Amino acid sequence: MYPILVLSITGIITLFLGFLKSKKVLLPATLFFVTLAFFANLYDWNKPGLYFNNMLQVNNFTILLSAVILLSAFLIIALTKGFIDDEHAQPAEYFAILQFSLVGAIMMTGFQNLIMLFIGVEILSVSMYVLTGSDKRNLRGNEAALKYFLMGSFATGIMLFGIAMLYGANYSFNIDAARTVVTQMVSTQHSSVYLYVGVTFLLIGLLFKVSAAPFHFWTPDVYEGAPTIFTTFMSTIVKTAGFAAIYRILEVSFSPIYSFWWVMVIIMTVLSLIISNVTAVSQGSFKRMLAFSSVSHAGYMLMAVVGLSNKSDDSIVFYSLAYSLATISAFGVLMAVSKEKLVDGRPDESIAVLNGLSKRNPFLAFILAISMLSLAGIPLTAGFWGKFYVFSDAAFRGHIWLLVVAILMSAVGIYYYFKPIIAAYMRESEGEAISLTPFYKIILGITTFGSILLGLFPDLLRSLM
Amino acid sequence: MEYLKNILSLPPIYYTFAILSVLTLFGALGTVMSRNPVHSVIYMIVTFFSLSAHYILLNAQFLAAVNIIVYAGAIMVLFLFVIMFLNMKQEAEEMKKEKIIYTAVITAVILGGILIIFLRRAEREPVNPLTYNSQSGMIEVLGRSLYGEYLLPFELISILLLVAMAGAVMLGKREAGERHF
Repeated sequence: MYPILVLSITGIITLFLGFLKSKKVLLPATLFFVTLAFFANLYDWNKPGLYFNNMLQVNNFTILLSAVILLSAFLIIALTKGFIDDEHAQPAEYFAILQFSLVGAIMMTGFQNLIMLFIGVEILSVSMYVLTGSDKRNLRGNEAALKYFLMGSFATGIMLFGIAMLYGANYSFNIDAARTVVTQMVSTQHSSVYLYVGVTFLLIGLLFKVSAAPFHFWTPDVYEGAPTIFTTFMSTIVKTAGFAAIYRILEVSFSPIYSFWWVMVIIMTVLSLIISNVTAVSQGSFKRMLAFSSVSHAGYMLMAVVGLSNKSDDSIVFYSLAYSLATISAFGVLMAVSKEKLVDGRPDESIAVLNGLSKRNPFLAFILAISMLSLAGIPLTAGFWGKFYVFSDAAFRGHIWLLVVAILMSAVGIYYYFKPIIAAYMRESEGEAISLTPFYKIILGITTFGSILLGLFPDLLRSLM
Repeated sequence: MEYLKNILSLPPIYYTFAILSVLTLFGALGTVMSRNPVHSVIYMIVTFFSLSAHYILLNAQFLAAVNIIVYAGAIMVLFLFVIMFLNMKQEAEEMKKEKIIYTAVITAVILGGILIIFLRRAEREPVNPLTYNSQSGMIEVLGRSLYGEYLLPFELISILLLVAMAGAVMLGKREAGERHF
């Protein structure tokens, strides 16, 4: 509950800080605000409760997910370097919108009422539409923003239709009340059409937001068109918040009608895994490859949802954290390297730009290697345990053939995740050495250290729950 | 004949509903199909007004008034301004992407068909006139629930509006060296 209040207020303060002549105060201030929200979030640890007339739920699961979101946000905001390099940037607005979008993300983790879910999704989406188009001189960015906006509005409309249908079935927006109705319905063998239509449409809307196939068509274009720093934000925080919402709504309200929705979700899982991994193989752009990789990780996280075991919530938290850390390092490296070489006035974001990185900056090459290994799910990195947990969730329900598909697709994944590593270590270098600010190094060090630490001691996080 | 008799014996509110629905659909189809954008806007106003009438049938008077003021009033004027500024009348191009049209039509028909089949099977309990709160759509009841039960979402909508506003200002601000459309 507290992070929502904190971030709403600090977001407005950040807007006013934009009046100051010096833009240097914005980055430390924003980092401080997010840290404040992080600790305000932990304040409710082990104190579960419902707030504001059953609008907001706080329990350890939502606190951990919010913590993952706020931690990723802290790391990403630290990587922006306050936008001091970019003379056209408007850091005050960017940082304020980022903080407001975090409000939306935290609402999506802690909603107890579908209205809260809807407003959370909208706050997060509207912020993302704006930030996607924030680089106004980039034509592809403009296109991406418009595309994202139009498709996202459609998805929101579909989701709202689903929520309205659910209200028709349950006479309430409360997700606990929905569970009571659903349980009753199952026990009396009486089926309500509104409920089924509602669940389907709500799921479609939410799965669009986390870019699961077949609702992933916007992902590569938008991820590529958006400024890299906001792509990072989109692929970590939006995904974590989206999966929190999907998991909570399905687990709390609709686990009694598992037999209705599992087929739908499993089809989307398999499609996400196959389409994304196969397409990612042939991508020449690193950013596009990571976009398809994010679709594939949506597929892996859906496996935890399909499993719906009593450990699924831990798996979702762990997977989001592992995926966020690795993605932030990968995009961090890309941001540092790509601005060295310009193509048509834009940073070069192809895989080839990483050639010979181990000679130009061994530290960055190491970070890249660890993040790619973690995304591929190689043992001793966090990504391995993340995959291990979601696979065991899927095995819990006996979806063995789903496991077979997922393992095959992980193998395909290893192929394309190694392409940047090969480029960095085996190819000849072209450019000069890359220098980094110490702060940037520290942040990338933290993400990589986190990936390795969780890979060696996965129980550090699991034991919390 | 039986069917006709059934129809004739319906209470007048059903006739009102049927007429309004036909009017709404007519307006919506006109919006999509007319070539002249100004005609589209006028059809859209028809749709908004008949939707407002639907709201009144549902005992949501406040919503009906807001719908007319905000949509038919403010947003439609905005639409007209944009159309006048862009002067699209002459450039009404033929849509060349036939494939997309066919796909869209097929998808829409399938989705609409599924929904109609499903929702025909849906059962609703009729409203009990004895327990029904006739004030439910009135501004007082609405205000109470907005400031009572739904206080938190109501307040947080202001964040949504603030984001939209800050974003619009940020994107709309003109800068040196920017492309001009």
